[in-house]
Amino acid sequence: MSVALRRARPVLALALVLALCGCGAGQERGPVTLVFKYARILGNADPLPELLRTFEAAHPGVRVKGEALPWTSDDQHQFYIINLEGRSPGFDLMMLDCIWVPEFARAGWLLDLTPHLQPGELAPFFPSAVASATYGERVWALPWNFNVGLLYYRADLLAKYGLRPPETYEELIDQVRRIRAGERDLRLDGYVWQGKQYEGLVVNVLEALWANGARVLGEDGAIFPEPQRAADALRFLRSLIESGVSPAWTTAADEELSRRAFGDGHAIFLRNWPYAMDLFEGKDSAVRGKVAFAALPGRAHGEPGAGSTGGAHLGVSRRSRHPDLALALARHLTSEAAQRAIALGAALSPTRQSLYRDPELMRGHPAMPRLQALALAGRPRPVTPYYLLLSSTLQPEFSAVIVGVKPAERAVADAGARLRYFLEAIR
Amino acid sequence: MTGRERADRRRALVYIAPTVLALGVLTVYPGIWVLWLSLQRRIPIFEVSRFAGFENYAFLAVDARFWSAGKTTAVFTLGSVALEIALGVAVALAINTQRRGRRLALSLLLLAWAMPAVVAAKLFEWLYHPSAGLVNVLLGWPINWLGDPAVALPAVIFADVWRTMPFVAVLCYARLLSIPADVYEAAQVDGAGRFATLTRITLPLLGRILLLAILFRSLDALRAFDIMFVLTGGGPAGTTETLTVYAYRALFQTLQLGFGSAVSVVVFVLVMTVAWAYLRLLRAGAVTA
Repeated sequence: MSVALRRARPVLALALVLALCGCGAGQERGPVTLVFKYARILGNADPLPELLRTFEAAHPGVRVKGEALPWTSDDQHQFYIINLEGRSPGFDLMMLDCIWVPEFARAGWLLDLTPHLQPGELAPFFPSAVASATYGERVWALPWNFNVGLLYYRADLLAKYGLRPPETYEELIDQVRRIRAGERDLRLDGYVWQGKQYEGLVVNVLEALWANGARVLGEDGAIFPEPQRAADALRFLRSLIESGVSPAWTTAADEELSRRAFGDGHAIFLRNWPYAMDLFEGKDSAVRGKVAFAALPGRAHGEPGAGSTGGAHLGVSRRSRHPDLALALARHLTSEAAQRAIALGAALSPTRQSLYRDPELMRGHPAMPRLQALALAGRPRPVTPYYLLLSSTLQPEFSAVIVGVKPAERAVADAGARLRYFLEAIR
Repeated sequence: MTGRERADRRRALVYIAPTVLALGVLTVYPGIWVLWLSLQRRIPIFEVSRFAGFENYAFLAVDARFWSAGKTTAVFTLGSVALEIALGVAVALAINTQRRGRRLALSLLLLAWAMPAVVAAKLFEWLYHPSAGLVNVLLGWPINWLGDPAVALPAVIFADVWRTMPFVAVLCYARLLSIPADVYEAAQVDGAGRFATLTRITLPLLGRILLLAILFRSLDALRAFDIMFVLTGGGPAGTTETLTVYAYRALFQTLQLGFGSAVSVVVFVLVMTVAWAYLRLLRAGAVTA
């Protein structure tokens, strides 16, 4: 019987949440408590408790409770949808992965911030960060931290062979061959990236598609509007592994696995996010002072490379009973001072452009202006309420090509057919 | 039936009423609800809710990802249960012949069993690390454990066997302790060798407990989720995605309650069929043993 019980778990869980939430909303008098849901920030010092205290000091009678989210992005998303669908979420301000904003906005869970914003209030932020917080021409969240895909390279090795960072993948392959031939180090891999079946693979494939002039979603909602170019890009990624430019274990690599290999000095090129730079410059890093980053390569005769953008936003729950205070807290946390503190204490990049030329930040991170230029050139993943459906459908298909068990054309066709079936129900 | 019997029967009904009620509320009602959901296209956050008949099932019938998940579930169940039973019996026999340190051996075994699947999966993620993992360092050969579609499922099965084999071993060991010594003495008198004692006495006497162990382990393996979800996320190329992982992605990641319920119903039917078949076997065994 426990079998049947387990099978029914989804519905039970939803029912339980609904039942519990129905009676959970007590009336509070006196001091107001704001609940802020966020993922713990990694880094040498978590600046958040201090930032929450300064907000309390500026707002007498308000207490802010920071509550940690589950560890992985999948679990965070699940936590949000179960609680928000249950109608009484019990939190006011939430940290959101930028890919969830359109979904949550469409579901009616987020407060529309558009009428509350001052004219020009979002101008200091990266336009692509604002774009990913915008859905249906309304703004649903404030950009909090920013991410963009970068090409890390071993500046010492490239200099030794008189090479400049590659602008195209073809150049990159050539440089890998020359450096490996010269170094004669069997443990030195060429180009490492994220090929495990998960969200990171979708990001890596998107970057390869863009470099080849292909997209997953067209402006009119068409799926794989350039199927030939998409298949060609996937085939190219597979060829990197087949030719040995990328190691075989790329098919199991996530950000950390690839970051460690490069950080241990076992790779020439790495695709990763800005957070990795601080770790490469750490005291006992094997590659300290030997690493630089550039834009991701494009393809010969193709478009210049663009990194995928990501990051976290702060959104106000539409069920919050103190929306004004929650918005004030979001403004406080996305302010220049707060973002500076976060960038100093944790390896997260700001969404405000002025901070990339901030003297205090540049002292520890001299490459900030360069990062700004690359962030400006970055492209967001498809901004759609169905992003998770899109990604979870694409992951096994992309992975099948990367590991070499499915021809690229068929993967593109199969993924397209599946997506059309699921989306026809929604659209 | 005498009045006394009737009164007994009434009292029995009162006694089992709470159980029946609890099962009704917690099992039958949600079960029927899931069945009803599976006949719909329902995605609450996008306000999609319409009756779809057997549309979801028709899609599943031609859905390559679903069939691949079904195959993975079957291979995982057969592979992990077979290995767990074989190793479990071997370990139980080994402990039984041991003179000293039995308690220590049992505690060490139970340590693995007591470990949550997620923790075990994280542990194996490190063991399988392509360059720094203990497994590859010992082998001296870089095997792409979690990234090669040919070895990823065996790697996941091995991790599961490591964690759950102790369950089988402890069950068998308990049964071995209860086999009276005079049975073995009689066999010795009759001139049975070690091998004959094992195949003619020990294994037949373990039979029923093994059937139980297989039942428990198969039902668990058919619903396996956490170990592959953490270790590979279902990859590479979906080769380690079981039906429950597929259902989870539909239900919780993309909130397709109708479609996800259809997958769940299939898992439910599968598990029920296997459970029913085993229970019949067990009952038949009870008659002959």
